[in-house]
Amino acid sequence: MTGRSVVSTDQAVRTKAGERRAVLVWQIAFGLGALALWELTGRVFGSTWTSLPSQIAQRLLLWGGTDLFRHVYVTLTEVFVGLALGTVAGVVAGLALGRTQTLALVLRPIIVTLYSVPLVTMAPLLILWFGLEMESKIVLVTVVVFFLMFFNTFAGVQSIDPLLVTTLDLMGATTLERYRKVIAPAAMAWIFSGIKIALPYALSAATTGELLGGSYGLGTLLSRAGSQFDMTGLYTALIVLLVIGILLSEGVAFVENHLLRWRHVAE
Amino acid sequence: MEPVSAALPEKINFSGVGKTFFVRGTEVQALQPIDLAVRAREFVALVGPSGCGKSTLLNLVAGLLQPSEGSVTYDGKPVQGLNFRVGYMTQKDTLLPWRSAADNIGVSLELHCRSVSKAERAERIAAMVDLVGLSGFENHFPGELSGGMRKRVALARTLIYEPETLLMDEPFGALDAQLKLVMQDQLQRITQDRKMTVLFVTHDLGEAIAIGDRVVVFSGRPGRIRAIRDVTLPRPRDVFRMRFSEEFSRLHEELWDELKDEVVKGTDI
Ligand SMILES: Nc1ncnc2c1ncn2[C@@H]1O[C@H](COP(=O)(O)OP(=O)(O)OP(=O)(O)O)[C@@H](O)[C@H]1O
Ligand SMILES: [Mg+2]
Repeated sequence: MTGRSVVSTDQAVRTKAGERRAVLVWQIAFGLGALALWELTGRVFGSTWTSLPSQIAQRLLLWGGTDLFRHVYVTLTEVFVGLALGTVAGVVAGLALGRTQTLALVLRPIIVTLYSVPLVTMAPLLILWFGLEMESKIVLVTVVVFFLMFFNTFAGVQSIDPLLVTTLDLMGATTLERYRKVIAPAAMAWIFSGIKIALPYALSAATTGELLGGSYGLGTLLSRAGSQFDMTGLYTALIVLLVIGILLSEGVAFVENHLLRWRHVAE
Repeated sequence: MEPVSAALPEKINFSGVGKTFFVRGTEVQALQPIDLAVRAREFVALVGPSGCGKSTLLNLVAGLLQPSEGSVTYDGKPVQGLNFRVGYMTQKDTLLPWRSAADNIGVSLELHCRSVSKAERAERIAAMVDLVGLSGFENHFPGELSGGMRKRVALARTLIYEPETLLMDEPFGALDAQLKLVMQDQLQRITQDRKMTVLFVTHDLGEAIAIGDRVVVFSGRPGRIRAIRDVTLPRPRDVFRMRFSEEFSRLHEELWDELKDEVVKGTDI
């Protein structure tokens, strides 16, 4: 019985891998086709508004030789530091409020009200408070991530099967052990789905902050190119952002697959 | 057998214990007031139709529920809050899905109040894995185990820290007939060795007689004690062969007469 089921999952894994490879091939083909079409239409109808893939590639090489990496480094630092701070704060708050009924009743309305304001609109205020450099953008990312992580963890904690907690309690677990052995590991799943949701928001918060001012970061690169009507510069910066966004979310998915192996097993 | 346990002190006492639940404004009486005394080291098997309050009874002893009337005492003191003297194998499976079978089994030994050295924990886990016949599956997650295997992990997890009293809610319900006998045999051995007191809920009357010092038959909901019989077969019992003994058949027939009416009534409702 076990033998048969093992064989069938093996086959399932193999066909899944095969399908994924086919999808990837199509995606690459589609991407190359789109680029070729872009280049072609640009050359035929003029490229004032759309630039050209070939020009973008040249610009990428040019920037790569100067300070592109410094811009990328600044944006990524803002994203990661803000993500880390916001995640820790959001998870801790979510765990605490999710497990404490009275605290939740008192604080939840306040948090919900704050959340209903589009948070990136705080950017000008934060720049006035914390200056034009990285600090203000880190704070902005932290705030945005905090709320997302808070809501995810809060909802997750309340969905833990109370019988799992009771079982450990009956064995004599202390409050801390209850968190460490049941609540935190159960929360890992929502923490990861929270981070997956929060990543694009973190990236957009960081670049939005940079658009408003600063000396480095992909947002400043964008706003500089925009103010100089530099189409190629705009597209190049956008493409770098796109690639960073894809790499970040793929990275989280990869880590999630490894840390939450039990979850894929259960499904 | 009988004189030994008769001399032992009372462990658990239910006096006039009833339980009524309130579900969205309507009352559901789960247990009618019952009286029952369980002596230390006694193995009491509870049988009765579905919904008659067997799990509720165990929850009362564990301190997860408070009785609506009467009182439950443990070692002479009323049960208030969680009862840390009991190990509870619940009817619903409560394995931690992110832990392997071995790590689930050993979780109690990681707790501060029961902490043991890493080597001892590994040794005791290995012994338990062996006892419940899960060798080769130590590193599987609960999601990768069959229902019966998960039950065995839960059993091992409850036995490993050797609680003074075991509460078991249909622990062997998901096992096939042969494995059930093997597990009954192991359970009998371990509870005798460790001098445990056991409240054991089962749907299987034969199992109740084979393994219990006393069998308590409940009526349908709201539950009430319909019959209590001592099983005087000597221990250690041969669970594989005792079904063919005369006393077993006599008791089975007698208790089945009591249970049969209730089961039929239960399905009518
Ligand atoms: N938490 C609860 N809230 C409301 N009603 C409950 C609750 N727990 C049990 N009941 C009710 O109490 C009755 C007895 O339930 P219990 O789980 O004790 O039955 P049982 O004898 O263990 O049945 P089974 O053999 O099917 O497990 C049931 O009719 C059920 O409707
Ligand atoms: Mg039950």
